[in-house]
Amino acid sequence: MTNEPVVNNMENKDKFVIIGNDDIASEKIIAPRYSYWRSVGRVFFRKKLNIFLIVAFILILLASFVVPVFCPYDPMENVTNAATFNMSPVKAMAYFGKSAPPLKWILGTGPQGNSIFYGLFSSAKTSLLLAMACAAINMSVGIIMGAVWGYSKKFDAVMLVIYNIVANVPYLLLVSVLVYVVGSGFGSFIFALTITGWMSIAYFFRTQVMIIRDREYSLASRCLGTPIPRVVSKNILPFLTSVIVTLLATELPMYISMEVYLSFIGIGLSATIPSLGRMISQAQSAFRTFPWEFWPPVLVASMVTIILYLLGQNLADATDPRTHM
Amino acid sequence: MENTEKQVLLSIRNLDVVFGHGKKAFKAVNDVSFDIYKGETLSLVGESGSGKTTIGRAIIRINPCSAGTIYYNGKRISGKLSRKEDRDVIRKIQMIFQDPAASLNERATIEYIISEGLYNFHLFKDEKDRMAKVEKITKEVGLLPEHLTRYPHEFSGGQRQRVGLARSVVMEPEFIIADEPISALDVSIRAQVLNLLKKFQQERGLTYLFIAHDLSIVRFISDRIVVIYKGRIMEIAESEELFKFPLHPYTKSLMSAIPVPDPIIEKRKKLFIYDPAKMHDYSKEQPSLVDLGNGHMVFGSPSEIETYKAIRFANA
Repeated sequence: MTNEPVVNNMENKDKFVIIGNDDIASEKIIAPRYSYWRSVGRVFFRKKLNIFLIVAFILILLASFVVPVFCPYDPMENVTNAATFNMSPVKAMAYFGKSAPPLKWILGTGPQGNSIFYGLFSSAKTSLLLAMACAAINMSVGIIMGAVWGYSKKFDAVMLVIYNIVANVPYLLLVSVLVYVVGSGFGSFIFALTITGWMSIAYFFRTQVMIIRDREYSLASRCLGTPIPRVVSKNILPFLTSVIVTLLATELPMYISMEVYLSFIGIGLSATIPSLGRMISQAQSAFRTFPWEFWPPVLVASMVTIILYLLGQNLADATDPRTHM
Repeated sequence: MENTEKQVLLSIRNLDVVFGHGKKAFKAVNDVSFDIYKGETLSLVGESGSGKTTIGRAIIRINPCSAGTIYYNGKRISGKLSRKEDRDVIRKIQMIFQDPAASLNERATIEYIISEGLYNFHLFKDEKDRMAKVEKITKEVGLLPEHLTRYPHEFSGGQRQRVGLARSVVMEPEFIIADEPISALDVSIRAQVLNLLKKFQQERGLTYLFIAHDLSIVRFISDRIVVIYKGRIMEIAESEELFKFPLHPYTKSLMSAIPVPDPIIEKRKKLFIYDPAKMHDYSKEQPSLVDLGNGHMVFGSPSEIETYKAIRFANA
């Protein structure tokens, strides 16, 4: 019985031909070429919502940066004419009539007879500029300092002490006091938000850098004598792209709400600079009597924050290579 | 001694590596001394946690030595070095890692990974020369030029390990530490990587420290074998000598664990279990590493050494 298969094998031997082994063919990779950023794009645009969000974000950017150029906002233009104060949209449209630019009075007037509609664009511009400047400064300082912090043991010891002191003071309190001390201009507002703002970002990056620093491919780079700056730029930062985008997605909306909040409680930007926070703050007492002054800035602020947040979250998902399958 | 004409490339003297401090301190390597001769392959075998990798990493200076010295070409390379010496040692001693998936940077192309060492030491005249060097080594390890623009995760385990080999060899080192280079690979492609290692040794006169736990592979590749257990050297001998006359009970237990490719013999085979508490009595006599002749060294107390000698030369 046991011999039977062997006999069969012998018979079948003539039916097979050895075709050899092609070394080059066995090394070939048939899978299509992988490109990180192309895969990011593919995953990102797979969600139709993202296209809508991007279009909405571009529209908001255009509106807040281009519209104020053609339609300058002057909060004081009707300050001498008490009849124009706090007019409802219908009344304002009727009062200014056809001589005024179309849409200018579509949202009524504010407490100084100012155009709410024009005010919205200028305010959104200030808020967006402020958020972008703060995010750019905090993120770049935070990432660079975090990389050094994660690498240098001496720097780590010093920075941990400083961080522990700063982190124990509530951020909002610190910013409020700083804004109060250094004044309420645009520049000093950025200064207040960035002087310690980078520290929590740097601390977050320190931990990430430490994890990747001790991975095996980083040891391999050490064995090859790779200098630390190149290890950081080639081994560490590329792995943190998705972390950076995620962080940006939470930071940007945070600065917008921070400005809104600080201006709302009265210590934000000075009265001469139009901002969403200031508009809301001015209209809070008129919330019931003149709702057209209150709701538009609230809606714009919420919309910008939500769009930025969703866009950031989805981009963060797309930059994570685990979603590229 | 017969080894006098051989040139010592690397020598380790009374090496201790301790992890942790105070009560938590753990001695991973305990009073280890051995030499590696130029052009040979020395294998370090032992079970998991015996300190094999730690010794390798102490040589390449990832793990600092707590005591003892490591000499390379007669010069001390443990402890603090000048910048020039440090760079020199990095270039001459290279390492191949165990896990080819973890030891390649996932976000870099194969071209960058292989060129990394070249960039660091600027071992090329111009861009053209660098590309020529990278392409030559890629070909030598059996990869294709079109692979250079790809990323590590697109490769199979064997291909990745060959990339790891290429990036070490392209630096033109003298000494390579191969830390279990094939234990993460499929059995069918292990020979491919081993043959490449042998080929580079013949062509370039490389010296290897081969760290492994699989004795059957060690026998194929190495000239001499060091058996290590819990951070201590148990036995050192030339490869064939060790397989003919395993003296230390731990070596015997390792040998009895080699699988035999015959189910009937394998079934009857009796495993030899090493139990240091029962097998040695070191209460009266202190054990030490003693040379029995023929470069065969065994760790034992004086009375044990006498028995080992009797067994060794009775057989001969």
